[in-house]
Amino acid sequence: MIKNIYVIAEQRKGSLRDITWEAVAAGKKLATDLGAELTCVLLCGKGGLIAEQLAVEVPKVLLVENPVFESTNSEAVISTLKELIKPQGSYLVVMGASNSTLDFAPGLSVALDAALATDCFSLEVKDGRLLASRQIYSYKINSVVSFKNSDRVVLTLRAGSFQFSPAGEAKGTITNEPCPIDESKLRKRFIKYVEAEKGDVDVASADIIVSIGRGIGDEPDLEMFQSLADTMGGVLACSRPIVDKNLLPKYHQVGTSGIEVKPKVYLALGISGAFQHLGGIKGSPLLIAVNKDARAPIFRVANYGIVGDLNEVVPALEEKIKSLKG
Amino acid sequence: MNIIVCMKWIPDTSEADLTVAAGAKDIKKDDLDHDINDWDRFAVEEAVQIKEKVGGKVTVVCVAPEDSEETLRECLARGADEAFQVWSDEMEGGDGYCTASILAKFIKNRDFDLVLTGTLAEDDGAGQVGGMLAAMLDIPSSTLVSKIEIHDKKASFLRELEGGLYESVETDIPCLISVATGLNEPRFVSIRAVRKVASIDIPNMGIEELGMDAGQVGQAGARLVMEEVSLPPEGEGAEIIAGKPEESAARLAEILKEKGALG
Ligand SMILES: Cc1cc2nc3c(=O)[nH]c(=O)nc-3n(C[C@H](O)[C@H](O)[C@H](O)COP(=O)(O)OP(=O)(O)OC[C@H]3O[C@@H](n4cnc5c(N)ncnc54)[C@H](O)[C@@H]3O)c2cc1C
Ligand SMILES: Nc1ncnc2c1ncn2[C@@H]1O[C@H](COP(=O)(O)O)[C@@H](O)[C@H]1O
Repeated sequence: MIKNIYVIAEQRKGSLRDITWEAVAAGKKLATDLGAELTCVLLCGKGGLIAEQLAVEVPKVLLVENPVFESTNSEAVISTLKELIKPQGSYLVVMGASNSTLDFAPGLSVALDAALATDCFSLEVKDGRLLASRQIYSYKINSVVSFKNSDRVVLTLRAGSFQFSPAGEAKGTITNEPCPIDESKLRKRFIKYVEAEKGDVDVASADIIVSIGRGIGDEPDLEMFQSLADTMGGVLACSRPIVDKNLLPKYHQVGTSGIEVKPKVYLALGISGAFQHLGGIKGSPLLIAVNKDARAPIFRVANYGIVGDLNEVVPALEEKIKSLKG
Repeated sequence: MNIIVCMKWIPDTSEADLTVAAGAKDIKKDDLDHDINDWDRFAVEEAVQIKEKVGGKVTVVCVAPEDSEETLRECLARGADEAFQVWSDEMEGGDGYCTASILAKFIKNRDFDLVLTGTLAEDDGAGQVGGMLAAMLDIPSSTLVSKIEIHDKKASFLRELEGGLYESVETDIPCLISVATGLNEPRFVSIRAVRKVASIDIPNMGIEELGMDAGQVGQAGARLVMEEVSLPPEGEGAEIIAGKPEESAARLAEILKEKGALG
């Protein structure tokens, strides 16, 4: 049986990232369901203040301070967590699924001799057994997995899936742990942060967004979409594959690794609705999807949908809008 | 520079109507086309570009049944020098941990400087094999990588974080790099290029050649147990505007107007 649940806090540039609180919420629930003890681990350059933020929500915080943790250096993180956690013998390690944890969770699972389930959107303890739900096959199918050995498990959790409501009364202990890392021996080194180039179109503050995805095909008529956006008085945005193919610059990309948008209307053309894309759409815009696949995940979150070929729908839509605008 | 690229052969589900197979442990795959995992096509291209710059050899390896041979041949046509297919029937039903163990066995006995993988496979959406493999090989690893530069015994590159932020990182070689999509433009594969590699032998290796036993692979070696797969609940979902394209488009325009959404 698992006695210890470790929630790995995520910070960037000295501030806690929101996803940590979701991991805390999931960890607390699991601790109750499994009768285990919850500990939050914070690796940080200088982490005293954040540790205190955590300590009002969790009973125990382990803090390891070292300049190397000013960024998330996966090599340093894995060896530190291994030193801290492995001696316990059995453990459940929980963290948010983010671009940082994606870098170390798999290696950590090997170092801890643990099973790994990434990007879980729901967790359940049934007859003492842990079950994790994830999405597979381009996010179109749900799957439930269990663990052959439930004594050692690493989980990463999808952002937005676990509700956290602050209680603010834990009075947790904060323990400073020595850092086991010899920085000079690290084979991986953080150099600096780099911001993506800014563009001439401000997608982030647009009210009306026409967004194109892989469904526009390999040799798309970009003019057609730009023209629709212009007619609607909006801007053109896109999903990641469009940037990958160099059809539009990066500052048009909506999503977790691109831009967060808060439009009033978001028209998604040939976009399947992967959560990394939807993660960039904030507020609750009027979300409209045109997609030829009736089962595309985007239809589960859109307000209105047209099941059809965008090459037929888009010109007809623009024509009608023009006539309505007179 | 000896580069090993791990390529995953996956069913193409992006536009397919998926159904759950009997027993509900997987989807029905018989009718689906299979292809190179998109992320791995970028990995193969990157490996070939690095080779073209600094010299060396590109080896592609895929843990998958025989039918994957065509995709391995595509990798050769894309400029890889050799390709290996790794499979034994016992490997059926394994998880990412098994795959990483198999790849580690395959790679350990080779002379390599760089291992390239995709960051994530679109079938299991896990993003786990690269990092696990690196840990098993005891080399540093990085995911979501673009702009790779190889200097003497170092690789420097950008790692993608959230919200348009990147981190610039450097690692010693040997190392494992899991690439991001979009870091290069995978080349067009001409018929000539395919013909040129038609006679290259693509050896198959099984658990014996790798020195593994059946307990380490397939369901026996897996750490995860698939309990059930299902189609997500339909839920509320979008109001679908039915009709011919012109009709539904016209109706949509009206809805936009009603909602005051026409600028
Ligand atoms: C760490 C990480 C970060 C990521 N960050 C982002 C991000 O910031 N932004 C982002 O967008 N993605 C991001 N992704 C990628 C994301 O997971 C998806 O792969 C991506 O969003 C898919 O883009 P898409 O919907 O355009 O393409 P697909 O998923 O391929 O969907 C194309 C859709 O077009 C439809 N279609 C095809 N032809 C037509 C037609 N003629 N008419 C109408 N419809 C058609 C298809 O039915 C399909 O639903 C990230 C992934 C990872 C792992
Ligand atoms: N069966 C496999 N054969 C070869 N490489 C694989 C295999 N499975 C995963 N990989 C590699 O690991 C990456 C991540 O896959 P995954 O962990 O399944 O999301 C892929 O992009 C491949 O580069």
